[in-house]
Amino acid sequence: MNSILFLILRRLRRPLILIIVCFAIAIFGLTLMPGLDNEGRPWHMSIFDALYVISYTATTIGFGEIPYAYSQSQRLWLTISIYLTVIPWFYAIGKIITLLQDTALRMAITTERFSRAVKELQEPFYILCSYGESASVLARTLDEKGMRVVVIESQQERLNELDLAETYSVIPHLCADAKLPENLIRAGVHHPLCSGVVTLTDNDEVNLAVAVAVKLMNPALPVLARAERDDIAANMASFGTDHIINPYTLFGDQLAMRVHAIGTYILHEWLTDVPGDTLLPPETPPRGRWVVCGYGRFGKSVVENLERENITTTIVEAMPELTGCDTCIVGSGTESKTLLEADIENAVGIVAGTDNDINNLSIVMTAYELNPKLFVVIRKNRRHNDTLFRQFNADITMQPTEIIAHECLAHMIAPLLAQFLTLVRNQSNSWANQLISELVSVVGETVPERWAITVSKDKTPGIAELLSKNISVSLHNLSQDPADRNKQLNLVPLLLLRDNIPMLVPPPATALRLDDRILFCGIPDARSALNISVNNAKTLTYIVDGIEVPDSMIWCWLKKKLQ
Amino acid sequence: MNLEKVIFGFFIVLAMTLNFGFFLGDIDNPSHHHVYELYAAIVVSLIATVLKFGDRTHVGAILLSTSLAADLQLITAAILWAALSGKMDEPSLITYIVSLSGGALMANFVSVILLISETIGQRR
Repeated sequence: MNSILFLILRRLRRPLILIIVCFAIAIFGLTLMPGLDNEGRPWHMSIFDALYVISYTATTIGFGEIPYAYSQSQRLWLTISIYLTVIPWFYAIGKIITLLQDTALRMAITTERFSRAVKELQEPFYILCSYGESASVLARTLDEKGMRVVVIESQQERLNELDLAETYSVIPHLCADAKLPENLIRAGVHHPLCSGVVTLTDNDEVNLAVAVAVKLMNPALPVLARAERDDIAANMASFGTDHIINPYTLFGDQLAMRVHAIGTYILHEWLTDVPGDTLLPPETPPRGRWVVCGYGRFGKSVVENLERENITTTIVEAMPELTGCDTCIVGSGTESKTLLEADIENAVGIVAGTDNDINNLSIVMTAYELNPKLFVVIRKNRRHNDTLFRQFNADITMQPTEIIAHECLAHMIAPLLAQFLTLVRNQSNSWANQLISELVSVVGETVPERWAITVSKDKTPGIAELLSKNISVSLHNLSQDPADRNKQLNLVPLLLLRDNIPMLVPPPATALRLDDRILFCGIPDARSALNISVNNAKTLTYIVDGIEVPDSMIWCWLKKKLQ
Repeated sequence: MNLEKVIFGFFIVLAMTLNFGFFLGDIDNPSHHHVYELYAAIVVSLIATVLKFGDRTHVGAILLSTSLAADLQLITAAILWAALSGKMDEPSLITYIVSLSGGALMANFVSVILLISETIGQRR
C-alpha cells in the first residue's frame, strides 16, 4: 500500500505545486487590492478572508462578494484569479482521474491486494500456477472440499471466468507470469501454511521454470508439475519435483490397465473421482487388432501400452516423417480410403488421437460407418467441444484435463492415496474385484470420501491418550460408531503406513501404534463420526470397553466410593 | 549541476530562512512579526513538502517528515491568527504564533542539516 501512496504523490507533484503557487499568488494579490467597507472606509482583505474567497472561487462554488461589496480593483484581481486558479484546479482533478485509470497503478493496486489476501490466509492452501481447464476443475473441487487455493494466471480472460465462478471461499488470484519468482513469493511460496504448488500450464517450459524456482526457494514444498516431454520431465525430476504428471502416459497406463485388469482400473477410477459422483461400470476394451489414428505423444503412449498387452496395432498418421513412425499408413484417417487401407473392417477398436477435435470426431464417424462393432477410443482436446463428444458417446473419451485433475486430486486430498494406488497396480485383478465388492457393500455405489489420519498426540489425542494408558486400540475400534458401539461406521481402512512400511487393507484386528498413518474411504458421515472418537478419549474408551467413563469430579468420587 | 536539485535546495533553504525571518524579533511584539512573512513561509514550506513527495530513499522519507512537521506548526499558527485575532490581546496572541513558528523553525533546521549532510556524503 505504501508504494502505491507514494506513486500517487509523486505523479501529483506537478499539479500540486502548480495549485499552491497559483493560490499563493491569487491570495496575496487579493489582500493588496484596496477596497471599501460598508461605511466607505478604506479596507484591505485579511489573508484568511482572501484564502476563503479564492478557495470557493477556484472550486467554482462562488459564494459572491464577502464580506463587503468589492471595489473595481478587487474585482479586477479576482477576474485574473479565476483564470489563474480554476485552470490548475481542473488540471489537478484531471490528473487524479487519469492516474486512477492508469494501468500501471491499477496493476500495483491489484498486486498489493493479492499479496495481502495471501498473507492473511489462516488455513493451509495450494498455489495453482495457471487457471486452464484442468486447473479450474482442480480449484473447484478443492474449494468444495474446503481447501484454500491461490491462483496465478497470465491470461486475464481466464481469471474473469474465476471472478464470475461461485466459490465457497475467496480464491485470491493475480494476473501475472508465474515464471517470475517475485510473483511466486507474492502467491505465498514462503508462507508457513502453503502446502504445495501445482503448475499445470500447457507449456512445459513454464512448468519447468516454476518447479525449479519453487524448489530453489522452498525445497520442502511439494510440487506437482505437468510435463509432456521426456527431457523436461527428467529435468524436473533432477530438481526434486515431487509429482510429474504426463496426461498421455497416464492415459496409456490406464488404457492398458483397462485391457488387462478392469477391476484395478475401476478401483482406481472410483477412488480418484470427485466424491459423491456415481460411476458407470466401464467396458473392457476387446483384444484383437486396433487402428490408431495419429501417432503423436498420445498415439505413441497408446500403441506402446497396447503392444505390451500383446494387442497388434495399425497406425494411421498424416505426417510420418515428423512423428517418426516407420510402418504406418499415410493419411489423416478422416476419409474412408485411408481407413479401408488400414483394414478397419477387420479391426476391433479404433483410437482417434490427433490434436484436432473435429478431425477425431470425423475419424470415428467414418470408421463407425465402415464397421459398427468397433470399440471407440477418442481423444478430446478442448472442453468446450463437450456437447459434440457427448452426442457421439464413444466407449472411452480421453480427456487430458480430467486425467490431470484426478491425478492431482489423488496427491493433494490424501497423499497416502497415491501410494495406495501404486500398490494396487501390482495386485491381481481378482484382488481388486474383491476389494470393490467389499467397498460397495460398506459405502454404497457413489464415489466415497478418502481421508487419512495420523496417530499422534496433536492429531488424534483420543487414541494417543488410550495408548499411553496401555489400552490397546485396534482398527476395528475405529470403525465402530461412537453413538452405539455395536453399529459399524460406513468406512473401510485401505492402507496403514507404519515406519514407512505400507500394509494394504490392514485386518481389523491390527492394533494401532503411535505415528501410524491410516488411509480410510467411506461416506462423509462416517468421516465426521470417526473424528469424534479419535479426538475424544472418553468416547474411545466407551468404544473399546463399553464403559462410560465418568468425567466430572463428583461422578469420579462417587464411582470410587461405590467400588 | 542539475536544475532540479537547485530548485529543491532553494525551496528547502528558503522555507527555513523565511521561517527564521518571521521568528526573529521580540516574541510578544506584534510589530516585529509581519503576517505576510508567515504567509510566505507557509507557501514555501508547502511547496517544499510537495517537492519531497515520492522520494523512496531513507533520507527522502526523513526530509518529508520534517517538512510535514513544519507545515503542521505553521498552519496551526495561521489558524490561531485567523481565528483569535481581535478576540484576545495582541501580545499574548503573537506569543503563541511566534512560539509555534519557532517549533517549525527547528523542523526546517533539521531538514536543512539533512540536506547538507547528504550533499557532503556525495562523492563529488
